[in-house]
Amino acid sequence: MTICDASETSRRIRLSRKMRILLFFLVEGVAALAIGFAALFLSFDPVWSAEQPKQAVLRPADARSGSLLLKTEDGYADALRLGVDVDLTVSGPTVRARVTQIFRNPTKEWMEATYVYPLPAGSAVDTLKMVVGDRVVVGDIKERQQARAIYEQAKQNGQKAALTEQERPNIFTNSVANIGPGETVLVQIEYQEPVQQNGNAFSLRVPMVVGPRYNPQPVVQSVDLRADGGGWGATTTDPVPDRDRISPPVLDPAENAPINPTNITVHLQAGFPLGEVKSHFHQVKIESPDNATRIIKLAEGAVPADRDFELTWKPAAEKAPSVGLFREHVGNSDYLLTFVTPPSVEQANEKQLPREVIFVIDNSGSMGGTSIIQAKASLLYALGRLQPTDRFNVIRFDDTMDVLFPTPVAANSTNIGNATSFVSALQARGGTEMVPAMRAALSDTNHDDASTIRQVVFLTDGAIGNEQQLFETISALRGRSRIFMVGIGSAPNTYLMTRAAELGRGTFTHIGSVEQVDERMRDLFGKLENPAVTGLSAKFSDATADLTPAAIPDVYRDEPLVLAAKLDKLAGSVEIKGRIGDRPWSVTLPLANAAEGKGLSKLWARRKIADAEVARTTRQASPEDADKTILALALEHQLVTRLTSLVAVDETPSRPDGEPLKLSELPINLPAGWDFAKVFGERPRLPVAPTERRAEAGDVKVRLAALKRPVVTTAPVTVQLPKTATDAELKMIAGVILLTVSLLLMMFNRRQTSPH
Amino acid sequence: MPRIISPAVFVLIGLILFGQGTYIHAKALLAQVLLERAFTETIATGHPVKPWSWADTWPVARIEVKRLRASTIVLAGSSGQALAFGPGHVEQTVDAGERGVAVYSAHRDTHFRFLKEVAVGDEIDVTTSDGKTFRYRADRSSVVRFDQSGIDPLTDRYELVLSTCWPFDALTSGPERYLLHATLIEPGS
Repeated sequence: MTICDASETSRRIRLSRKMRILLFFLVEGVAALAIGFAALFLSFDPVWSAEQPKQAVLRPADARSGSLLLKTEDGYADALRLGVDVDLTVSGPTVRARVTQIFRNPTKEWMEATYVYPLPAGSAVDTLKMVVGDRVVVGDIKERQQARAIYEQAKQNGQKAALTEQERPNIFTNSVANIGPGETVLVQIEYQEPVQQNGNAFSLRVPMVVGPRYNPQPVVQSVDLRADGGGWGATTTDPVPDRDRISPPVLDPAENAPINPTNITVHLQAGFPLGEVKSHFHQVKIESPDNATRIIKLAEGAVPADRDFELTWKPAAEKAPSVGLFREHVGNSDYLLTFVTPPSVEQANEKQLPREVIFVIDNSGSMGGTSIIQAKASLLYALGRLQPTDRFNVIRFDDTMDVLFPTPVAANSTNIGNATSFVSALQARGGTEMVPAMRAALSDTNHDDASTIRQVVFLTDGAIGNEQQLFETISALRGRSRIFMVGIGSAPNTYLMTRAAELGRGTFTHIGSVEQVDERMRDLFGKLENPAVTGLSAKFSDATADLTPAAIPDVYRDEPLVLAAKLDKLAGSVEIKGRIGDRPWSVTLPLANAAEGKGLSKLWARRKIADAEVARTTRQASPEDADKTILALALEHQLVTRLTSLVAVDETPSRPDGEPLKLSELPINLPAGWDFAKVFGERPRLPVAPTERRAEAGDVKVRLAALKRPVVTTAPVTVQLPKTATDAELKMIAGVILLTVSLLLMMFNRRQTSPH
Repeated sequence: MPRIISPAVFVLIGLILFGQGTYIHAKALLAQVLLERAFTETIATGHPVKPWSWADTWPVARIEVKRLRASTIVLAGSSGQALAFGPGHVEQTVDAGERGVAVYSAHRDTHFRFLKEVAVGDEIDVTTSDGKTFRYRADRSSVVRFDQSGIDPLTDRYELVLSTCWPFDALTSGPERYLLHATLIEPGS
């Protein structure tokens, strides 16, 4: 019995112990669940942290293949010097520009120079001349690869050679080979450009420096890099395959005196009596030989090439001429250029549709300094101009992005107040990931809504290298939205601005200083608030015309409609029709009265080339067809394009066999008002003084030539995939192990204490 | 006393760890319920609807694999915060149904746990926020490093990629990612 009893009590004890262990686990489970759910509403440190995309501000030097770089100890003093002279002649509707770059070699070595420089986005470069001593060598237009080959051959033969290549429609590179010790070589290019007109004012811009561009890291790995010649094709998946070509070394203004002295002269023959003539960013002296002519020179002589030159002129008469018609006869064809400014209809007469306005502001590092101040001032002005019936949203971006409201909100005082404080607090830093911001701005939640007009106002300096990606985004997603680009700063990327505005069927406004904010933003709002002239078409009565732009864009208030055409005969008239708001409008111009103009054929061809590039972007034409069109036009009209370059070779060899050749990439200034540290990071890492690559004699030279451009793609490249594992399992297992251990410990303790 | 303290400390740490693990799963589960509701409302109203008032993201699509009865709501953006609640639509890739590659990413141990069951030939339905459903067919899978995905976002084809961490049953996270590639077979309806 006693034995039985003993066994029974021990069993009971064991049972109750099992129960207790079970209960223990149960309580633990419940507690864990409770903690888990409670924690759902708290925010712990992200244990699931994603891999952050790497900061992608590229320092110019990083963008190249590092192995060839050789920083000289003696710095800039021993390198090539560059001077620039810009001579502009305005005759009526067109500007003819002659840009002379003077390369001086004070060193004791033979040098090759490359200089990356900007030109206006609509410029048609048609002439290259190289002046060596008293010889002038005139360049020929060739297909790009062929021109490059000719240049490389001449370089190896010791002949002087110059090559002009287009990197972007507004960025060009000049290379000059074999500049002897102590020698000076002049390279001269010429281009043609239409003058800009806005309301009463005419203007021209000369960009002088390429602002350092943010080149997004490749989102995709280049698939194939085998050295089978065609392998380079794979790099097209890089958003900026030519990143090394558009990132010249930049001097830190804090540590270096400004370089690249530039002189500017403008001969202005407006074709009408002139009123106010004004240079916005440079001190100038203005002479007036007669009432329609002005000669404008820089007041203090040469200036460093660190900001755009902008000149505007107004007619003496109260109103600018609203129609301009010019012709030129080249070969068997007549070329026609027309400017027509449709009358502005007062908005009181028109029922204004409510608008949905999406403001996008770039607060990346390149906007640091004065640019962000201008951008913020412009945006604050814009917020103040919204009507109570409007809806709006604000997006800010650098390499990250914030959308202020999840959906556009009514422009009431609370929302405007919120937006105002959001904008005021913005700071400029980080990279420039423009494409996601544009996608967000174009994501239209009620795209079928015909009762409102949707407008995107995009404020940026456009300092990116992946323009093409942005254009593709716009053409794919624009929907009913219209995009109004506002270019900020001393040297904005005008190509990006004009093409984005064209694809987005809006306009481009440039703001170069805080003083311009009010005037230019008022102008822009005039365009936003007033009906555009839509449904435009042009019909020639007698002549057969090849008209460009192919799809005539809508025209906003105070803007002229600019059309270029190639005609088989100059006869009859052209009728331009459209609608202003809901009223029809038309104007008929007799062609016989057109005035003689210069270089119109080049402008027509350049505009046709831009049409082909747009068709390529919007996929209306296949890349092959577009390229074929561009090549034919470029070769016929002698223009530098993406596919054609100008090359000049001096037949007389000058560099003796065996003398080495040194390559110098000429540094550029940082655009005025930019903050060096914000763009390139902390200062001690730089300056990137003239970076030079040394070539030895003979065959080594050939290798250098081959290595120079097709730089091996940087770093591994890809769509960065986020980290997609939690440590939930790990933690739970660790938790269970610990609980078990504690349980064992407790049992062990009890066994030690209980027997007594 | 020390005899009681050491197991008590172990119990506490164990509870916290277990709680955190459970919390991750609970958050993933509960969030999907709220997301499902928000997404239905998004489709109905045509506006993005936040799943809860302080959320910093919103639902953009639903991924369904009918054969596996798996369904999950995708959020905008692939930040760690978003991925805790649901799969994320990787930035800079197109939306489902557009030309290019739409990439969605999620945790292997929560929302994309079903990914290892998906076989080549399976149909994957993606419903976008405008209510259109696009049907894709899985055509291959691959394992890549997170920074060498080999995905061409500018491709001319209509593709979908679902991505999660690899290997599926590992406890710690590594650099490898499992990709399921699929091609559009039925445009939106």
